[in-house]
Amino acid sequence: MIIANQKPLGEIMDMLEGVRRVLVLGCRGCVAVCSAGGDKEVKILASAIRLGKGRKGEEIEVVEETFVRQCDPEYLEPLQEMGKDFDLVLSMACGVGVNFIADRVPGVKVKPALNTTFFGANLSSGEWKEMCAGCGACVLHLTGGLCPVARCAKSLSNGPCGGSQGGRCEIDPEVPCIWHEIYEKLKGFNEEASLETIMPIRDWRPSGHGGPRKRIREDLLP
Amino acid sequence: MAKIIGFCCNYTAQVPVDVLEKEGVIGGGVELRRLPCTGRLEVPMLLDAFGEGADAVFVAGCKIDTCHNKTGSLRASKRVRYAKGLIEELGIDPELLEMFFADRGSTGDVVEAIKEMEKRTEKGA
Repeated sequence: MIIANQKPLGEIMDMLEGVRRVLVLGCRGCVAVCSAGGDKEVKILASAIRLGKGRKGEEIEVVEETFVRQCDPEYLEPLQEMGKDFDLVLSMACGVGVNFIADRVPGVKVKPALNTTFFGANLSSGEWKEMCAGCGACVLHLTGGLCPVARCAKSLSNGPCGGSQGGRCEIDPEVPCIWHEIYEKLKGFNEEASLETIMPIRDWRPSGHGGPRKRIREDLLP
Repeated sequence: MAKIIGFCCNYTAQVPVDVLEKEGVIGGGVELRRLPCTGRLEVPMLLDAFGEGADAVFVAGCKIDTCHNKTGSLRASKRVRYAKGLIEELGIDPELLEMFFADRGSTGDVVEAIKEMEKRTEKGA
């Protein structure tokens, strides 16, 4: 899922300068699952905004709403009308949702309440870890399912760097060297010899080199 | 007079605030809000309490190993910690929000919590 964090409150309060009526708009997609922008977080941020504004002696009306997703047009539809009643829509979706509102809902001023960070998995309650870089050219079939692009600090393609010590990465002893883990994983399947095949120089074009990426499936087009 | 709002579970403070005030055990301006368990506490409840004009807010839950609902007071303490960060970002002294762990059925522990928060509001005044 897409992982995000709430922006510092000071930054959010600055965005609300002069705003009298704001819609705090959550998303029940990825950001709800990673506890950054779902119903609960909308309530917390709305309360924090009311408190912050109240302490400054400024009036603000804060309305709370959460959409199923902010990255599908059908779910954004209600915002076409609803959005006109607000000075600002503070989106608690990932950057995709904010962009989509800006693209699709003319006349509505939208600003982000979150910093969108990475594609990750939920390790345990309250802990998420990056697992995928969305590079557009998966090599997971060669690396035992472990991604060297997202999980190696240098995104190396052919084994660890000299900083790998005792299976740990030089950037932080808490971080495993993913190339060490790739080797151990393949060894477990008696496939470690496959690592002797040199991976070619990586083609970064699918990673966004040509500008914003787009995917089309002809059979699904209207 | 400082306004103090406290959240207690069913198993902590047993004596109503007005009795404590009448007996002179605590000063005026204290409001206790009861929850079935402090695990029911949500962060907005703490923020809204400050929004209602509280000078200090506290939560009194069971001691960690005696919570009737096993982890209710532990969860509450984590939410208090999270809310402390938020109020600090808004310029409120995080010391004006606190979690206390009280013996079950011990009004005395809650009275001590109230007195501690009264002291903290005086310090900040």
